[in-house]
Parts: sequence; structure tokens; C-alpha cells
Amino acid sequence: MSQTIAFLPPRAGVLSQRAQIITDLSALLPDGGLVHEARELVPFETDAYVAYRQLPLAVALPRTTQEVSDVLRYCNRHGIPVVPRGAGTSLCGGAIPQPDAVVLGLSRMSAILDIDLENRVARVQAGVTNLSISETVGPDGFFYAPDPSSQLACTIGGNIGMNSGGAHCLKYGVTTNNLLGVTMVLMDGTVITLGGKHLDAAGYDLLGLVCGSEGQLGIVTEATVRILAKAEGARPVLFGFATSQEAGACVADVIGAGIIPVAIEFMDRQAIEICEAFAKAGYPLHVGALLIIEVEGSEAEMEAMLAAIVTIARRHGVMTVRESQSATEAALIWKGRKSAFGATGRIADYICMDGTVPLGKLSHVLQRTDEICTALGLRVANVFHAGDGNMHPLILFDANNLEKAAKAEEAGNEILKVCVEAGGCLTGEHGVGIEKRDLMRFQFSDVDLAQQMAVRYAFDPDWLLNPSKVFPLEGRPAA
Amino acid sequence: MIRHAAGVRMPLSLVGSNTRAGLGNRVEADMVVTSAGLAGVIDYDPGEMVMTAKAGTPLSDIAALLDANAQMLAFEPVDHRGIMNTQGEPTIGGVFLSNASGPRRLSAGAARDSLLGLRFVNGRGEAIRAGGRVMKNVTGLDLVKLLAGSHGTLGFVTEVTFRVLPRPETEATILLRHLDDAEASQAMAAAMAQAADVSGAAHIPKALANGISDSLGTANAVTALRLEGLSASVEVRVTSLAARLSAFAPVEVLDASTSTRLWHAVRDVAPLQARQDRPLWRVSVAPTAGHRLVAALRQHVEIDALYDWQGGLVWLEMSGEPLADVVRRAIASVGGGHATLIRASDHQRSGMSAFEPEPEPVAALSARIKGKLDPAGIFSPGRMAPVVRPKAGSMGMTG
Amino acid sequence: MQTSFTPEQLADPQVAESEKILRRCVHCGFCTATCPTYVTLGNELDSPRGRIYLIKDMLENDRPADREVVTHIDRCLSCLACTTTCPSGVDYMHLIDHARVHIEQTYKRPLADRMIRGLLAAVLPYPARFRAALALARIARPLAPLLRRVKPLVPLSAMLELAPPRAAVRLPTPALREARPARGRVILLEGCAQPALDPGINAATIRLLTRRGIAVAAPKGEGCCGALVHHMGREPRALDFARRNIDAWMREIDAGGVDGILITASGCGTTVKDYGHMLRHDPLYADMAARVSALARDITEYLSTLELETLPKRDLVVAYHSACSLQHGQKITALPKALLKAAGFTVRDPAEGHLCCGSAGTYNILQPDISATLKQRKVRHLEATKPDVIAAGNIGCLTQIGSGTVIPVVHTVELLDWAYGGPKPAKLTGKTLDHPDLP
Repeated sequence: MSQTIAFLPPRAGVLSQRAQIITDLSALLPDGGLVHEARELVPFETDAYVAYRQLPLAVALPRTTQEVSDVLRYCNRHGIPVVPRGAGTSLCGGAIPQPDAVVLGLSRMSAILDIDLENRVARVQAGVTNLSISETVGPDGFFYAPDPSSQLACTIGGNIGMNSGGAHCLKYGVTTNNLLGVTMVLMDGTVITLGGKHLDAAGYDLLGLVCGSEGQLGIVTEATVRILAKAEGARPVLFGFATSQEAGACVADVIGAGIIPVAIEFMDRQAIEICEAFAKAGYPLHVGALLIIEVEGSEAEMEAMLAAIVTIARRHGVMTVRESQSATEAALIWKGRKSAFGATGRIADYICMDGTVPLGKLSHVLQRTDEICTALGLRVANVFHAGDGNMHPLILFDANNLEKAAKAEEAGNEILKVCVEAGGCLTGEHGVGIEKRDLMRFQFSDVDLAQQMAVRYAFDPDWLLNPSKVFPLEGRPAA
Repeated sequence: MIRHAAGVRMPLSLVGSNTRAGLGNRVEADMVVTSAGLAGVIDYDPGEMVMTAKAGTPLSDIAALLDANAQMLAFEPVDHRGIMNTQGEPTIGGVFLSNASGPRRLSAGAARDSLLGLRFVNGRGEAIRAGGRVMKNVTGLDLVKLLAGSHGTLGFVTEVTFRVLPRPETEATILLRHLDDAEASQAMAAAMAQAADVSGAAHIPKALANGISDSLGTANAVTALRLEGLSASVEVRVTSLAARLSAFAPVEVLDASTSTRLWHAVRDVAPLQARQDRPLWRVSVAPTAGHRLVAALRQHVEIDALYDWQGGLVWLEMSGEPLADVVRRAIASVGGGHATLIRASDHQRSGMSAFEPEPEPVAALSARIKGKLDPAGIFSPGRMAPVVRPKAGSMGMTG
Repeated sequence: MQTSFTPEQLADPQVAESEKILRRCVHCGFCTATCPTYVTLGNELDSPRGRIYLIKDMLENDRPADREVVTHIDRCLSCLACTTTCPSGVDYMHLIDHARVHIEQTYKRPLADRMIRGLLAAVLPYPARFRAALALARIARPLAPLLRRVKPLVPLSAMLELAPPRAAVRLPTPALREARPARGRVILLEGCAQPALDPGINAATIRLLTRRGIAVAAPKGEGCCGALVHHMGREPRALDFARRNIDAWMREIDAGGVDGILITASGCGTTVKDYGHMLRHDPLYADMAARVSALARDITEYLSTLELETLPKRDLVVAYHSACSLQHGQKITALPKALLKAAGFTVRDPAEGHLCCGSAGTYNILQPDISATLKQRKVRHLEATKPDVIAAGNIGCLTQIGSGTVIPVVHTVELLDWAYGGPKPAKLTGKTLDHPDLP
């Protein structure tokens, strides 16, 4: 893409010492734990947000908390920035490096350490994928609730960094509501433990502060998460509407009526076509907008809740209502939804927004999104978590067409402004990263930002951890 | 005012309406600053399930307003007045700043999980906004969580925005009698492993059973499991859970109103309100460690214990001294957790910390964080951790 | 994903095609999670997304392959789990095929590596040579531990250890391949390595088909499908193999109706189904290749068109191992299990069924360490289902898994032949099968 964004200037002292740093880090990471050949660094120049790319200095792949601590202590002593990386599925460039930075990848720390069913917790290394926790405890009737669409690949460490949500957090909450403890390494190499298997941690809620801190405060190497008993049954139901506005209004009314299903997902016509082409889930293709509403519980519970939802949907002129008839069909419905972003790649490049708005503003923001994209000559697909107002407009463009790429970014910024003006926020679950860093002033005053930055400096006064992300570079306070 | 206090380094004790006075260590302050004057609901849209209120708004006002709209605070805030023998009306700010979560914390999260946004004045006198009013929000550092449960040591909170939930249509409680602590722990773990969506799991041992609820008509141990939701759904779940639990003891089912009264008593720790002269600990451990902790302590000291959160929250009443070291060693021996001294005489408190002392690196980090929000150290100094005098020039922010 | 190729570069149809493939990738990273080498090594360079990036960088810069790139491309099993996972529809198979050709053309491998690859390419595709080599290997087997200690020779030791300890009995190919009255007529790819390693598979196939009234043709001149050399990037040789088979089969196809070209080794099946693509730039062969590919069927695909009757349940638990070439390469997942169930077997799926067993053609010889790790992982999951027998549809998997467990490992079609009136598979005779926990 043509877009450029400012990174903190590379530290000349670090670049000039590259050879020595590589020798030293290699010694700390035996067993091929340091990637440093020029060719091999290229795949680490970005994550799932490909608008910006920067080569790192080297990539460290530790196997233990001790190795993480060794690397951080070394980097801290020599003023070398460190960029944490889980599975590299960030949609906001949270793991994009810079030329003087060591990428610290947790992908080789992927062990499940302890499954404690009686206390309903799992202790895992940070590189464990989200889905593998549910797969491990599934046969015993449990699951790990937060389910970002990338759950197949994304890691718990990354989930903690971004406080990931997912389709089912309408009922079960996001990562911070399901995290009980972490082992974390501070930039100076100190290893600390926060929380544990108990339900509330002592002292200040550092766990809450760390969750969603985008790798700014430390590197989480182990996590204790809650697992929950699976509901007796679950059933996604498809509700087709003529227009996005009707679907949006239906969502607000369902929630307003005090009905909280496990998930309410929204797709517009463009998104339905894309997802159906990949997953063949049987989404209705003749509707303008689709809601996937999942209810769970016993047969009687599901029936009761569904009946109430159908009544409300009728008021909004629902065109089709279709219940999944089997577990396979339900799985396909979710597969289609969760693959929406990737499947969009079949027809175009895209950037994905993540603003959250109050439910009452859904229809309005959908309308404005459409207007903004149309005015700029762009197509947009909407697929998102409607139940909690977390919108994901996918702005489609051609990455090899620089002019369109710039317009896509412009549209994205405009849409996020609309979200904030509607009383929402820039990002519901993807994080600020590099993508939305310079938009932070839409939402926060300089004093607000300075306060956040100050707290950040309590952990890492030299901004060595994940530099250039989250906080605007201009006018930032000194440590 | 705060800017002035910071300038002259005048320590301020930040409070709501002081119904939780005595929670934490003694604060040496020149002045008490209360948010009680800042009262009133600013914004409430039942359809959005979000409310914004000034920090000093009485909890009772908020509860009444929510009730009128068939909604509630999901975390069921514990009312400390009974166990702490205090007067006044709790404020919504105090609820969040003490992260006062009741039985439903087990299923619906703690107070901090419901808190979406706040406004506060930091130790430089600057008005700061953190978080927002939508549930999903990862824009920037989560200062909201940091302030929640900070007991007025990090900022003077003026306004809170929080999520509310529809009030369940009905509730029922399954009661098992005569279980000892270990059996109760097993029964509660079994219940939580079911797909029954249990929203409360408590055990009241025999010694405390009298204090729990007259209508239960019992002087024996009770283990209680609460189910809430649509009546059709509750009915189904009661049946399936009762079937599972009948292996532990004969099952009784409490109707909605009895159930409500029982859980209010559990929430406010009614059985441990009478003996105000006895020190009371609030202990948080892994759920199945609760009864092991109590058993370990009983080898050394006479105690009474009430279990909530499936056994993970233990209200521990000591017969004599608080014995902080003994309690904390015992917690470590059952796998870790922490203890907060809720009630004790000034004399008993001397020489110990009401909050669990943190390991050195975490304590240092906490102190640095406090320094970034309250560089002059004027907010409720000493309440949560020993006072650390900031070094000159280490103040968090410029201008 | 954005690409930067010059118009001159894109004039090469191979490059143009790869560019198209690369444009589809949105870099979401889903593929990493199901990639056996990423799961094993935890390095993105050994994941599909990492390899795609390495290939992109190499092609965009028109650079000869180098040691780093080759290392990571070589570690790819070509199991294509990534292709199943990829929501964007990235055609990873043809991209890595292109990269392998590029490597073969621009990179000089170290001597030992060249020798071993040369040896494999010269022996495996030729049944007679391979049989002789197996006999030799049985004699040389005791040398394996010695070879393992010399790093460049580790693949040789792996090769020796994979050779079955006893010479497989050479079953006489049934003379009677005709069926009267004939309901249908098919070509059965005899294969190269498979008949040498386990001739019982094709024998069972022919028995089962002819009993059902399907005549099985044996075209003259047919040979290796070309997959083995294809995966080494030796494109001209692979195309020669393909053309030779097409010649042989077209004679048969033109002579009289053929319902399908059946393949019992799914690794070969994936390649034959790709002949149309492989030869698309060959004006003489493109059409014929497309016809052949359209006729290619895995044996289970064809059997499920025969409407075999449902048999009463029998007391035998089958752990079904889904060969990558079947589930990812050909997207055949449920069919083999449905056939086994209909034939009365109890079928169980192992955990992590999407992960490769580490066989992957010559992979277990060329990358013995990763292969061994994957084998252990696969065998652990298979054994956890407590099966009486393990079934799979690809000779590579059968050999690989068979070398890691005492539970008998057979081809799906051998169980089906047995159930529908054929003899009990040789590997099952002499075992007490009503005992679920075999020693």
C-alpha cells in the first residue's frame, strides 16, 4: 500500500550493533531460537494487517519463561525495542516490527500445563491457540468462552494482549472477564505472577490493566483462564431481512426486551454471498441482511427464547427464519461466519474496521458507512457482532491500486469517527495497534492519553515494548 | 482543590458514604473528601443496558430505578454495613471502588466486569475520562479496571458508567442439608460442571446455619445452588440438577421468595454479623481449596467459616486475634489466594496489613503505578499499601 | 495481498499464475494452525503463510533459491491441510509446486542431498528396481543406526528403517480381471511403490470390483504417476510420467468405454487428478490430460457409486486415518468412513485427524526427524481410540503408521473386500480380533 505511517526513529546504536546483538541473543536461545538471516526475516514484517510492513532486527523464539526473561533483560539493558507476537493474526498491526526491534514470538510455548475441571480453570502457555483449549476440555463437557473468529490460529497470549472478544461474548464476556491469572515478564526481565485460580486477584487490578494492553506492559508467558460447562444444546437460527436497517432495529429490540441470546451476528448481502461461497452453510441469498442468533440450553429453553425472538423479528418484517437442523449444519453456519474476513479475500483485498456503537445507533451507523463508502467509490461488506454493537465493515479494494487503497483507509477513518460520535469507540476487540494509533484523539483528550501513557511508563519507561503502537507519537509525554 | 492539595502534599482520605469505612489500613489524612455530594443518574437507557451515574449516587436509588425497569446490577453488590457495623447509604462509586461483588460473581462477573467507563480526577487535579459506554472496548489502556477496586487510592472518581442486565424472571434454589465442608465442596463442583447455569453456590456449615434464614427452619448445614432465568427454563434445570445432586443428599427446592431471602443473607454474610468483636477475613482461593484452608486452620485455631462462590470465597471469623500470618501461610499451603481483613479492632490491626502483602516486584510495580496517577501521594495514603514517598523528579507526567 | 511483479515477469505464465494465487492470500494466518510443521516447530517460516511469503519474496525479486528458502520449502509435507483451512481459497499446492521447480532449476543442493534425491528418483518409481532395493534394504537394515549418526546420511537410515522387515508376499494378480456380465469397466492404476510394498491392496480391489461386475483393465505401458519426482520439483520427468500414462490410458479409453481411472493410493490420485493442470501448457496433451483427470477417481469414490448393500454390524473397531492426499488433496472425507460403516465396521475418528502422519511421499526419508515426531503424534491419537485395526487409503500412510504401532494397518479396500466376500486381509489373520486391547 502507498500509505505510510510514522514509526519511532530506529535507534542508531541498536542498528550499528546488530551483529553483536545477534551473537548475544543466539547464545541466550540455543536450539535455533533466533531467526536473523535477511531472507528469513521477511515473513515477520507484518501480521494479518498488511497495510504497513517493516523488517525486524531479528526474531526470538523462546521456549521458556526463563528464556523470555533473559531476552528481555538483555534488550532492556541495551535499549533494544521488543515486539511481542503470538500467531500474527492481529488485524490492527499489533505485531508489526520496526528495523531496530526484536520480534519476540511465543509460538514455541504452546503447552497446556494444567486442566483443573473441579475449579474449572486451565493453565496454559501463552502460545497455545484459543481453540485448542476448548478442544482439550470439550470431551469433558467444558469450553473456553471467548471465541474470536481467528480462534483456530490466534494464541491466548495474543488474546490477552488485545482483550479479544468473539461472537459468544454477548453472554460470556470477553477475555478480561475470563482471565484469572498470568505469569508475565516485565521489560527488565522480572517475572511476576498476577492472580491464580481464585476469582479475584489481590491489590490493584493489574490483571485487568494488562489484559488489552497490546504488549505495552510486559510479555505474558502463561495464563490461567476460566472454562465453563457447555450448555445442553445450542442452536444458531438464521433470520433474513430485506434491509440492514430492519435487521439492526430488530437487534436493538431483542436486547431491549431483556432477551440475551448467546450470540447475535449480522451479515449484509455482500457478506452473505462471500461467506456462502466458502462455507456453503445454506445462508439465504435473497435477503438484504441476515442475523445469526444463537440460543442455547435445554430444548424447552431454546424453544421459549426463540419464540420470543421470532415475535420481535416479525415486527421488523423478517422474511425467513431457519433453524439449523443438525450439529453439522450449525457448525457450517459458524464456519461461514468465522471465515468471513478470510473468505472476503476471494473477491478483493479489504481492511476491516472494528468500532463499537450503542445498539440504538446501529441502523444509523450502517447507513453512514454505506454513504461514506459509496461517496468514495468503494464497496463494503458488513459482518459483525450485532448483539454488542461491535461493527466490522470490510472495505473492499485492490491492494495493487494505490489510489483505491488510500481511499479505503480514508473511508475507514471516516467510519470510525462516526462510531465515536455515536457514543461508541474506535475498537471493540481488534485493538489499536498501528492502524488506529493516530485516530486515538478522536476518542481521548490529550490529558486522557497522557495519563494512560504515564501508567504505561510505570512498566517500561523507555517505550521499548511494542513501540510506535497505541499511543500517538506526536505530543506524547516524556517518561 | 485536589491540585492545591497536591501542591502542598496534603493527604486526603477519599470516601463515598463511608459504609465501608475500616476496609483497608488506617489512612493518615488531613481531610476527608467525599463524593456523596455528587449524586444523580446522568443517563440510563434500558434498551442499551447501560447506566451512567455520578459517583455519590446512593445505591438504593439506582437499585430502585433498575428495578422499575426489570433490570439489575448483575454482580449483586455486597452490603458491608451488617458485618462492619456502619451506617449510611452505600454509593455506586463506593461499590465499584471496593469491587464489592456478591454471590452472582460466580456466573456474571465481578463489579469490575460490569464497569464500562469512568471519570476521575487524578492526583494532579486533572479530569480524566477512561473507558466508554459500550461493552466491547479495547481502545487504549484499561484504566477502568485499574481504578475499580482501588479503594480511593488512585483517583477521585466522579462518574461511573456500567452495564446492567435484565432481572431474571424467576429463581429457585436447590438445597442440600447435612453435608460437611468437604462433601459440600464436591457437590458444588459437580453442580458447576453441569450445563445448569448455576448463578450461586454457597455452603453454610452447621455452626452458622441458624443465622442464615429463619424460614429454612434448620440448625444444620445447608448447601445452596441457585438457578435463575425464564420460569420454563428454571424448572427444567432444577429437575436435571436435582437428579445429579441427589447422590450427595436429599434435595429440597426453595421457591423464589425464600431463595431471594437466602441469597441476600449469603451476599451480606448475615451469619457473621452478630459478633462484631471478632475479626473477620474475606479470603479468596481456588473454589475447591476453601474447605481445605478451613480444615488446615482449624488445626491451630478456632474459626467459623461461610463459603460462597463454590467455596472460593471464604468469610472467616476468628475467635480471638486475626492471626494474619497464620491465615496467610495457610492460604499459601492450599495453592494460593489472598486475604483481606474486613473487621478488627484498631488494636488488633496494628502491625499488619489489611490487604495481602504483595511480592516485592509486584508491590514495586503497584507503587510506580500509584505514582503515575497520584504523584504527590495524597490519595488515601496507606489504605492499600504502605506509603512510599515518591522521589523528587519521578513524577509521572509533564504538565 | 499486494504483490509487485513487473509486466515482463508476468509474461511468464507460471509467474502470472503464482501472482494470482498470491493475490488471494489475505495473510490471516489461519493456515498456521493446521500446518503439521508449524505445530511441530513453532516457527512461522515453517508454516504455509511463512512459505508463501518466502516464495513471494523469491519470485518477486527473480532470485535464485538459496539455502534458507530451500530449508523451509523442503520441510513442507505438501499435505495441503492449509488449503482445506484457507478461507480465501489460496491455491497453495500449485504455488509450492512452482517454488519446487524454481528450486530445482536454480539451486544446487549439497552432494549428499543430491545423491539421496537422485537415488529415490531413480528407484521408487520403478517397481522392479524398488523390489530389488527393498531386498537390499532388508540386508542392510542393521546399518541404519550407524547411518543415523552421520548427519547427511540420516535419510538413508530412515529409508532402511521403513523397509518392511519381511518381504511382502507377492500375490498373483488375479488372472481374471473380466466380469460377466460386465456392469462397468475401469482402469486401475497399478502404481509403483505400492505393489512392491503391499501387493494385497490392488488384489483386493480387483477381487471386490470383479465380484461386483466391474471389469478391470490393465493398460500396457502404464507406470508411476509422477508424484514422487513432481514433489521434488523435477517437472520434466514428472510430465514424462504423466504423458506416458495418458498414452496408455487413452488407448484403453478410446478402445471402449471406461467409467473411471481408479487409484488406490490417494497420493497418486491427487497427482492424476492434477494432470490436466500440469499439462495445460502442452498443446498436444492438454485436452487428453484434462479428460484423464476428469475420469480419475479414488477407489472409495467409485465404490460408493456401486450401491453396496448395508451389512450387519460386526465386532471390529476401525480407526480411520484420513490420508492428507484424500482429505485435503481430493476433499474426500466422509465417503471411506461411510463405506466402512455400511460394511458393518465400527469406525472411530482419531483426534487431530487433519494432521499429517509424516509419510508424505518421500518426506519420511528426506525429513526423518519431523516425520518421526508426526508419526508418534498420529499413532498416539490412533491408539487412543482403542481400535482393532487401523485403516487408511494411501500406501505411504500405511507404511508410516505401520512402522509405529503393533496394531494392524490395512487399506480401506482390503476391509471392504473382506466384508463383501473376499478373504480376510493377511495382516489380520492370526490375530485375536475380538480383543480390543491388542498388545
